[in-house]
Amino acid sequence: MSSEEAKEYALPPEVLEETIRASEELWKPVRKIKFRIYKYNPRKDYAPHWEEHELEVSRGMTVLDALLVIKGEMDHSLGVRYSCRMGLCGSCAMMINGKQMLACQTRVLEAAGDGDVVELRPLDNFPVERDLAADFTSFFEKHKAVKPWIIRNDEVELNNPTGPYKQTVDEYARYYQFTDCIKCGACLSACPTAATDYEYLGPQALAQAYRYMVDTRDDGLDVRIPIVDSEHGCWRCHFAASCSDVCPRGVDPAQGIQLLKKLLIKRKFGFKPHKPAEALPAKVKAERKE
Amino acid sequence: MRESTVMFLHYITAILIAITGLIHLLANNDPGIGAVIKANSALYFGNMAIFLAALLYHAFNGVRVILIEMVPDKCWTKWISWAVLIVGIVTYAVGLQVLMVALGFA
Repeated sequence: MSSEEAKEYALPPEVLEETIRASEELWKPVRKIKFRIYKYNPRKDYAPHWEEHELEVSRGMTVLDALLVIKGEMDHSLGVRYSCRMGLCGSCAMMINGKQMLACQTRVLEAAGDGDVVELRPLDNFPVERDLAADFTSFFEKHKAVKPWIIRNDEVELNNPTGPYKQTVDEYARYYQFTDCIKCGACLSACPTAATDYEYLGPQALAQAYRYMVDTRDDGLDVRIPIVDSEHGCWRCHFAASCSDVCPRGVDPAQGIQLLKKLLIKRKFGFKPHKPAEALPAKVKAERKE
Repeated sequence: MRESTVMFLHYITAILIAITGLIHLLANNDPGIGAVIKANSALYFGNMAIFLAALLYHAFNGVRVILIEMVPDKCWTKWISWAVLIVGIVTYAVGLQVLMVALGFA
């Protein structure tokens, strides 16, 4: 970009000034908030306990920002899991004032509301790894159990692909929302069935099973049915829909499970949701390029 | 039996309970229908037998679901299902006998 073009796109000085002022305002400390944090190391501690830290917070400060300040300046031993800091990786899901939320997406003042205490503890329905970090071993095992990948029987095409598989926009729309799952565990944590039935596959795994079962590129419907149609499978969902309520990505796993139940009943009467998609022939591909 | 079959029957029995229960109520309270389905007729007994079967299936499957969720251990799941099935069959047999005696079929 030339300096002339840069000048054209530059903000007018008064707008720039206002932007800087608003940004400074956003990060100016406005209130003192008390953080009540769950502390427990299962390898060392006999029982969990709570620790409190007070912090001056600004309007823009997220719970994760606050936790990093606490970890850096007040309690170096604090166990907290995080990675992307932008609500994409799902690592920092925790109970914030009793609700499943992403620490990086929740502002402290929003969580505190009119009060001055923010209570933080690890996700419900998960074993504790340490302090605010939950143990996801069983969660990922359940996810893996539903075979969350495309299953195909045409090995020749798989080994020597001739083109992409055909899929219309409508076919894609059937499972699109479930691809947004970031595996943060908030849904399983909010699920009332998972609270007692630890063998229950859970909303995340079941919604992912549905996502692949209706994907036209997939041919693994009958492979996944014995897994999801079991005593601890999709029929244990009582449709409390708390999973959909807490999902930070707006996915609706409760809907996925109900659709999965419908799919299983239809399959019982011989219906299949789709024929496995064929690969686009090389000729069509070439025409499309032209 | 697949869980979907068990749960499909659970929903079917819920509908059956409503239908046969309504027939039972009308047979006892509506003189017109009472004249068709008489108190000691085979039709009345048949309706009650279906009502009892549907009610027991629905209730005992509900208990089974609760027990499976409360005792999620996989080795217990099969035992719970079998135990509930046996108790359900015995209860139905007793209930049927009571019905037959009460309606004068035995």
